[in-house]
Amino acid sequence: MTTAYEQSPAPASLQVYRYRAGADRVEAVIGTLEPGLPQEDLVAHAGEALERATFMCYAVSQPDDFVADELCFVPQGDRCDILSIRTNGWERHHGDHRRSLVEILNNLAAAVACGKLRILDTTEVTYVVAEGREMFGYEIKSTADLQRARESVDDVLQQAGIDDINRQRTILCISEAVTNMLLHGGGHGSMAVRRLGDRIRFVVADEGPGLSFLNWIEPPAKGGQASMGYGYKIILDYLDAVALHTRPGGTTLVLDRLTH
Amino acid sequence: MLRTSIAQGPAPTVYLAGEMDLDCADTLREAVNDAARGAQMVTLDFAGVEFIDSSGTGIFVRLALDLKSQGTPLVARNLSPAVRGVFDMLRVRELVGDEVFPD
Repeated sequence: MTTAYEQSPAPASLQVYRYRAGADRVEAVIGTLEPGLPQEDLVAHAGEALERATFMCYAVSQPDDFVADELCFVPQGDRCDILSIRTNGWERHHGDHRRSLVEILNNLAAAVACGKLRILDTTEVTYVVAEGREMFGYEIKSTADLQRARESVDDVLQQAGIDDINRQRTILCISEAVTNMLLHGGGHGSMAVRRLGDRIRFVVADEGPGLSFLNWIEPPAKGGQASMGYGYKIILDYLDAVALHTRPGGTTLVLDRLTH
Repeated sequence: MLRTSIAQGPAPTVYLAGEMDLDCADTLREAVNDAARGAQMVTLDFAGVEFIDSSGTGIFVRLALDLKSQGTPLVARNLSPAVRGVFDMLRVRELVGDEVFPD
């Protein structure tokens, strides 16, 4: 049992799989398919979620008692996204922390279900970052670039006639996204601002190690519970639409503010 | 960028002006630690803070908890609606205690 604990790569990790109606398998969009999750079961549950057009959650215990998978099936028209957390080792024995991980998973799944958060695969991301017209873009290299990013975004939002509250909220989200990139995305990357018909799009991209679920949560505070990384909570609450692509070679976060 | 100035005394006040983000950690920590030396309590005046994000908030929370554990209570005053909004969202009051916000 000690060995199982020591071999755990991380106490928890997030994966997203995708099933397209009629397919005979699911594909991994974030992370890789966890061993021990049978394709045929995932396909059957995804098919059921699509047919009933309803959000479904399951917990799957693995034969090794230290490992469990929590799965949320989110139907979206002709495809079903499957958000999955595998908890390893000690989480199983810390009920509160594990419960809060599941709560975070449910929050993310709910954001996907209501169309606020889109998980992008490799093909989709190349399309999404090229939509509309690029207004400007620049490199982000250090914390000193945070202020510059906020100021340039402020100008664009003012010119687009965004009201004060939404302008402040958007600037906050840009600060959070750029900070996440500096802290977890390899320390540098780029930001581009694009104009689409009904929105302004901010693309924050890095070539870092990819988002680990550990970066999505805050460690439980003394006596408290783990919570979704502050930055991501703010981003999901305050923007009109968010899209995410992440893999070991980099992360792209797409933040939209509607202008009408 | 964050600028700080200190009104010294047994209960010093640190006046903050500018922006509180990841970049402000050293400036803020230095100013507060300077002020806290030998002090009974420290007041942070937020009147000049135009912007704060979750990193700036996290730095403030850590400082407040550190000072509390050293027996020098920290008090925050003159929060703008924008700062208050971010603190509420991140449930700062629960983390640092009601006594930090006497207003």
